[in-house]
Amino acid sequence: MDITFEHVTHVYGRKTPFEKLALDDVTIRIPSGSFTSIIGHTGSGKSTLVQHINGLLKPSEGKITVGNFVIHAHEKKKDFKELRKQVGFVFQYPEHQLFEETIIKDVCFGPMNFGISDAESTKRAEESLQLVGLPASFWHRSPFELSGGQMRRVAIAGVLAVRPQVIILDEPTAGLDPKGREEILSLFDDLHARLKLTIIMVTHNMSDAANYSDQVIVMDGGKLLLAGSPKHVFLQEDLLRKVGLDIPETMLFLNKVLDKAGSKDKIPAFTVDEAADAVIRILNGVKDHV
Amino acid sequence: MEKIIEVSDLSYRYSEEQPYVLKNINFTVNKGEWLSIVGHNGSGKSTLAKCLNGLILPQRGTVNVGGFMTSDEEKIWEIRRLVGMVFQNPDNQFVGATVQDDVAFGMENHGLSREIMAERLSEALRLVRMDQFAKSEPHRLSGGQKQRVAIAGIVALQPLIIIMDESTSMLDPEGRKEIIQTVRALNRDRHLTVISITHDLEEAIHSDRLLVMNDGELIREGKPHDLFKSTALLRKIGLDLPFAIKMRNVLRAKGVPLSDTALFQEELVDELWTLHSSM
Repeated sequence: MDITFEHVTHVYGRKTPFEKLALDDVTIRIPSGSFTSIIGHTGSGKSTLVQHINGLLKPSEGKITVGNFVIHAHEKKKDFKELRKQVGFVFQYPEHQLFEETIIKDVCFGPMNFGISDAESTKRAEESLQLVGLPASFWHRSPFELSGGQMRRVAIAGVLAVRPQVIILDEPTAGLDPKGREEILSLFDDLHARLKLTIIMVTHNMSDAANYSDQVIVMDGGKLLLAGSPKHVFLQEDLLRKVGLDIPETMLFLNKVLDKAGSKDKIPAFTVDEAADAVIRILNGVKDHV
Repeated sequence: MEKIIEVSDLSYRYSEEQPYVLKNINFTVNKGEWLSIVGHNGSGKSTLAKCLNGLILPQRGTVNVGGFMTSDEEKIWEIRRLVGMVFQNPDNQFVGATVQDDVAFGMENHGLSREIMAERLSEALRLVRMDQFAKSEPHRLSGGQKQRVAIAGIVALQPLIIIMDESTSMLDPEGRKEIIQTVRALNRDRHLTVISITHDLEEAIHSDRLLVMNDGELIREGKPHDLFKSTALLRKIGLDLPFAIKMRNVLRAKGVPLSDTALFQEELVDELWTLHSSM
């Protein structure tokens, strides 16, 4: 299910002293099955943007389509249940929302809330827990006995158990240690590849945005600044810096090497391996010229 | 060098039925140094930090801070005055309605006079570069700014030691940079002893010395340049190596004859250049 925003504007606290233009005439397209990262400085509108995709916020102006579901500004009350079944939202620190006595009950809560039978919910919960890699020996324990990274995976299983087509991740690795980060990111990379889920990730980490996405969307002051492949986006270093963003650390390092070689080139390399190859090419190139 | 903290044979468990989460730990902290304690989540490093200001008392062994034992109930407030602690979540530490109220809160608790409070308040805010925000409300601040206010609140109490317990892990990259700069200034210019508890090695390489924790044990100790000569162990216990080291390892694997000394990106670039011009 493709997602499109057409001239979407969102105003918080309209006609109050706190009125704030949070989204300003945003038009974007997120193709079905893509992995899209959304980056931007604090207050750039990236969280406001994603909260429109499952109807948590409604546009003040413009139109949003998610598959067959259409949301217009100025619409009367609307039932978002069907949309929210399709679009799962993993909030920041989702483990804070765990509440049940056992892990399996907690994961069942999502599907049961959408009117799915007990037996089917349990089946889905078990599947989801397997997907996130939590062994069955844990399922009947309290979620509060788990480590932070494990608790986060249980919370994510709760979203997966509803079987959404689209998953929105708001800073999914915040507060995790490197191992936990790696686990969560490869989990979504895998879900994206195997189940063809559309993944939309809000992140502060430029390397994660570069390495995992098909498309990167850059927000600034509520406006869409840039959208395109990681290569396209991260080659525009000056523009990114102007809005308080960085480039991936691989490119920062290559800049230092290029600088030393007296070159003004930019090389879009996002993995350490690609960057190392580029370093070797730069060194050989310099020698050729001398 | 003058020792400011001495930890001897420390072991701790949360209850008698549970296994020890800290096992026979020994180390000392020198006055004025910047020490990082690194390990993955659950390695015991935060529990250890709580032993250093007597929030937790070990079942075995002793912790001596500035000449006082944390086990001595009469001295515990003395110790807490010497050791300030900045925690992980910037939102959980903000108690005042404005930045200046927040920084004043700790001083009020210590019963300082109004004149002294005013003086220390402006000095502390200047030090963390938040003096322009004295009257701001917390929701107008970024995570990094809130953590800087938390640091100012500690600095105003004039401790000898400041413990940063995962204080950057919830911040964006910019906030992280702000905090590292602030800590460096406190350490170099104000000669405060700093202990950073972190899983971020990129951050830890800036300190003078590192302790590596794994499963409740202290497994390595050393200066950053020495410790990162061999990296297999650090990788094995789930730590992400600093970028320059990852790059150095990959370049070596691709046949570039680099040494194992570069720790910072600038050092690696310099070494690559020296190598290149001599080839």
